[in-house]
Amino acid sequence: MAKTGWDEFEIGAMLRTFDGKIDDIAGTLQEDRAYSQNSSFSASVADWRIEKPIFSKDFCIDCQFCWIYCPDISIISRDKKMIGIDMDHCKGCGICVEVCPTNPKSLLMFPEQADEESELAKWPAKESKEK
Amino acid sequence: MAFDKMELKDIEVWDGNFAAAQALRQCQIDVVAAYPITPSTPIVEGYGKFKADNYVEGEFVMVESEHAAMSGCIGAAAAGGRVATATSSQGFALMVETLYQASGMRLPIVLNVVNRALAAPLNVNGDHSDMYLGRDSGWIQLDAYCPQDAYDLNFIAFKVSEDHDVRLPCMVHQDGFMTSHTAQGVHTLSDDVAYSFVGDFKPMNDMLDFEHPVTHGVQTEEDWHFEHKARQHNDLMTKVMPKIQAAFDSFEKLSGRKYNIVESYDMSDADVCVVCMGTSVETAREVATEMRAKGIKAGVVGIRVIRPFPFFEIGEALKDVKAIATLDRSSPNGAPGMLFNEMAGALFNTDTKAMLSGYVYGLGGRDLTKAHLVSLYTELQANVDAGKVTTQLQQFIGVRGPKLAFL
Amino acid sequence: MSEMKKIKNLKDFSTSADRFEGANLLCPGCAHSIIVREVLNATNDDLVLSASTGCLEVCTAVYPYTSWDASWIHIGFENGSTAVAGAEAMYNALKTKGRLKQPDRNPKFVSFAGDGASYDIGFQWISGCMERGHNMMHVVLDNEVYANTGGQRSSSTPIGSSTTTAPAGRISYGEKKNKKDMVSIMASHGIPYAAQVAPNKWKDMVKKIQHGMAVEGPVFINAVSPCTTEWKFDPKDTMHITDLATDSLVFPLYEIIDGHELNITYRPKNVIPVEEYMAAQGRFKHLFKDEYKYLIKEWQDRVDEKWAQLNRREEARV
Repeated sequence: MAKTGWDEFEIGAMLRTFDGKIDDIAGTLQEDRAYSQNSSFSASVADWRIEKPIFSKDFCIDCQFCWIYCPDISIISRDKKMIGIDMDHCKGCGICVEVCPTNPKSLLMFPEQADEESELAKWPAKESKEK
Repeated sequence: MAFDKMELKDIEVWDGNFAAAQALRQCQIDVVAAYPITPSTPIVEGYGKFKADNYVEGEFVMVESEHAAMSGCIGAAAAGGRVATATSSQGFALMVETLYQASGMRLPIVLNVVNRALAAPLNVNGDHSDMYLGRDSGWIQLDAYCPQDAYDLNFIAFKVSEDHDVRLPCMVHQDGFMTSHTAQGVHTLSDDVAYSFVGDFKPMNDMLDFEHPVTHGVQTEEDWHFEHKARQHNDLMTKVMPKIQAAFDSFEKLSGRKYNIVESYDMSDADVCVVCMGTSVETAREVATEMRAKGIKAGVVGIRVIRPFPFFEIGEALKDVKAIATLDRSSPNGAPGMLFNEMAGALFNTDTKAMLSGYVYGLGGRDLTKAHLVSLYTELQANVDAGKVTTQLQQFIGVRGPKLAFL
Repeated sequence: MSEMKKIKNLKDFSTSADRFEGANLLCPGCAHSIIVREVLNATNDDLVLSASTGCLEVCTAVYPYTSWDASWIHIGFENGSTAVAGAEAMYNALKTKGRLKQPDRNPKFVSFAGDGASYDIGFQWISGCMERGHNMMHVVLDNEVYANTGGQRSSSTPIGSSTTTAPAGRISYGEKKNKKDMVSIMASHGIPYAAQVAPNKWKDMVKKIQHGMAVEGPVFINAVSPCTTEWKFDPKDTMHITDLATDSLVFPLYEIIDGHELNITYRPKNVIPVEEYMAAQGRFKHLFKDEYKYLIKEWQDRVDEKWAQLNRREEARV
């Protein structure tokens, strides 16, 4: 955001999350909200990541563990289905991978530079349970 | 249950505390969050009784400390409504952190400060130590000299503070005990007239507007903090005084009582004058009149608006006087004194060649007697006659022991 | 009275529209934000929120960005609870006076604060809010340390933990004092609801938050919030550490209704030794030296005793 002069902002360092009026926030999904420039939703922390998660939907059972335990609201679930990762807001912590219960995991961490398509192409196969 | 209105006589015998409590009742505050402390306690008690007797419809929250009182006021003000409280001295000192937060968040809150000394040693009586402690906090500060002022200035405070061009909190000061506990005749406004003067509260950036959520109290570091503080200072310097003057003007039309940003008394031809605040203004006026009978052309300048500081109004009031004494009722603790410094600053680049000397008096409620002021005016006249300051620049009045003077 | 949000299972829950945003500045893997999401998503009602100074506050409202989609206020370190109490008082006043802009809403008033801001510097303010009966919820994000300022001890820091102000050293094993029992202290105010929660047990958490939001009066919630930075574990392991915390009974999950009716809400099938919980965190690393191993044993005894005490209280309904 542009760094404005002292006479160019709201008094009291007050911030508004949305442009204009919002009627029912809890009933409005992110894509339908008019976020202002001042919502951190409009910002990105993608450059924090050293590793990134890649999502393979082939094995996903939509258990939503990744959704509930993601600290960064970066697991996009719609209609009870996991549909992808918000790469602007993911910090690459790796919790989603740890809590993923499928075999093989439906989320894995890769170096930030990794190519998604080629990683998906060589996704690990199901591990046989020992013991 | 609708609240009841109160029938007041045209003149009631009220002390400053009760006058302030009545003004708060008439302004129909939405939330008072308060904690009692001498000598401001009767404001809170009086308001509590009004609430108990159904003269108050708003919420009255008795919190567990003055810090919590102002914290609750900040939360309530940010939520969007009329908010006030009262305190003194140590309680004021405990509040200081939140005073800066209230003003920095641009929340209109009215704080009645019944001035009292700051410990140690502990003291419950009136001096201006707490008032001085608040002077860099970003609040508007108005000073009452008597119970009538304490009543009237509360209405002015809400009117100015809540103005959307201002949105800064405001203190109304009165002297502990001398004003707060001294009953005098107070000309009243009817409930309806008083309320219509301050008007309905108009919310701004209110947290309770669920269709426009707001974030209050953000963090700003070196890339933004300076701009926000500069904005607040700019608004104090440029926007507040005209609003205060306008409020004084409309209040005069309503009540016939005239307030001025700087209260000059017999200054048009004065050779000597004192600059002071609080109850001392009235004492000084009486002595000035008596000095004139003795051939000394004495005047008094009372500061009505302490913050924002009336730089130009002071310069104007003092431009023709020959010797000025500032009366600081707070220990300067290693400096010349707030009023001394402010007067020096206001006059330094002007054509005024007045001599300036400072006096420290009345700490911890010590009386300022007429005799003190007689000798003070006499010293000023001696300065005028000699063409130079004949005393040291800082003198203590009314303290026991060897004479204390510095600078 | 608004209807309580129906959350049968995690799939249901995942249809929630979050009111807390990403690109906040919390560390990767921070449990604070997981807790905040579970609290906020437990209701569809409007919210009036505060945060006391601390990690959550400095990471979610750094000008010119806010991560909050509901009205939110921060004043200082000690008074976030009172800020919300003031807003709640204003809500009541405007309701009485018929001046609410949207009078049909049923807002919930929630203050978030760390353990430093709750157990230490804000203790009196929270106690005041609980005593006065404001219709509000105070949620402690308990990471047992002043994490925002670099890991100083608080009165929530457990014995043996190494912090920057009670560091382990040549002659010290770190923190010497036991953690303050905040849930009991707050429940003793006679408030309608106090509970300890953990983000791994999301269903337990949501149930408690919904209970807390449904009752009239003040509610106190203590949420364990494992801190990747100060507890010294890998960010990916936040939920694993939380599991160890609840399953070792270091953080037992329970609730206290009206100050006396205690219910244990989670009984681990396999109770894990405290040693395992401690071994997973760098802050206790020094305790695994021979001379300090007795502390681990003492800690296990303390956890066992506390668990027995909770069970006794549950049984006796006191």
